[in-house]
Amino acid sequence: MENLKILLVDDEEEFVTTLAERLELRGLQARAALNGEDALHMIEADTPQIVILDVMMPGLGGFEVLRRIKAQHPQIPVILLTGRGSEKEGVKGMELGAFDYLMKPLDIEELIKKMQEAIKSHP
Amino acid sequence: MNKCTNKEVAFFGKITAGITHEMKNVLAIIRESSGLMGDIISISPEAIVKHQEKIQNSMVRIKDQIERGIGLTDRLNKFAHSTDETLSKIDLREAIEQLVTLAQRFARLKHVVLKTMTPDHEGPPVTLVTRHVQLQMALFASLECCFTVLSAGGEINVGIRKLEGKNVVNVVCKGDLPGQSEFVRNISESENWPALQEIAACLEGSAKLDETAHGIVLSFPDEIRR
Repeated sequence: MENLKILLVDDEEEFVTTLAERLELRGLQARAALNGEDALHMIEADTPQIVILDVMMPGLGGFEVLRRIKAQHPQIPVILLTGRGSEKEGVKGMELGAFDYLMKPLDIEELIKKMQEAIKSHP
Repeated sequence: MNKCTNKEVAFFGKITAGITHEMKNVLAIIRESSGLMGDIISISPEAIVKHQEKIQNSMVRIKDQIERGIGLTDRLNKFAHSTDETLSKIDLREAIEQLVTLAQRFARLKHVVLKTMTPDHEGPPVTLVTRHVQLQMALFASLECCFTVLSAGGEINVGIRKLEGKNVVNVVCKGDLPGQSEFVRNISESENWPALQEIAACLEGSAKLDETAHGIVLSFPDEIRR
């Protein structure tokens, strides 16, 4: 997991930058994108090993970003973040190719555990 | 459950889901910020000094998010209490400001700026006796109609005025808009337009298109018949 390249995608800037700082303190390389379009550009410029993606974003929504990532880079595991109380969104995301999903507010230890599982399953 | 009640429940669900989603983001930021402080403190005493700026920034973020959360819960609480009475005396300006705040998330998801055109806060209040819930539904339906014609970067301005004894709400779209006839067609063919007509009629008012101003004009009487 050390030096794992992570791309965090969420339009809540303060959430995503703080989460990136916490992951960096744990020795991971986390970058943040505030919308889907930027995320796709960042993936092309420097491909991450894993993407953490919010479902509900202005502009290009999370599911569309997921679909495009899976079309261009099927090897990148994607973990979805959802703010909805039900599991419906997460399940839909997994049907579209997401590795798994987590609900907000998230637990960083749970996120790290999910990322480990994702990396193991996408060698 | 009748058709109208079903629509009211759906409206309440939509607004409540939007606000609680925002609240989840507030809590997520507070959790990450407090978590970051905890991470730094648990490294070593030297780390606290080294990362002092991160700790200070986290504290500011937590304070800001608590204020944001208070604002959201106040609005949500007022919204929930709008069902307390079937008919009530309403300050139209306040009702619009409330609805515009509640609808911010929906506007943001469309990349649209939503604001009120009521700079004259010192002026006399525009009050009317009406059904508060349905008034909010009418205002929200008019915004949803505008969302269907606006593209990213657009703007919606909501203003009020008294005209010939009626209380008029102007919902005006700005930005990269279609021509007048296309504007009228797009809005009148949107699924929200008949719903808006129905709600406005329930309030003994009207909803008309103003193709010249690229807007919707809502009109409500001072008092509806009981």
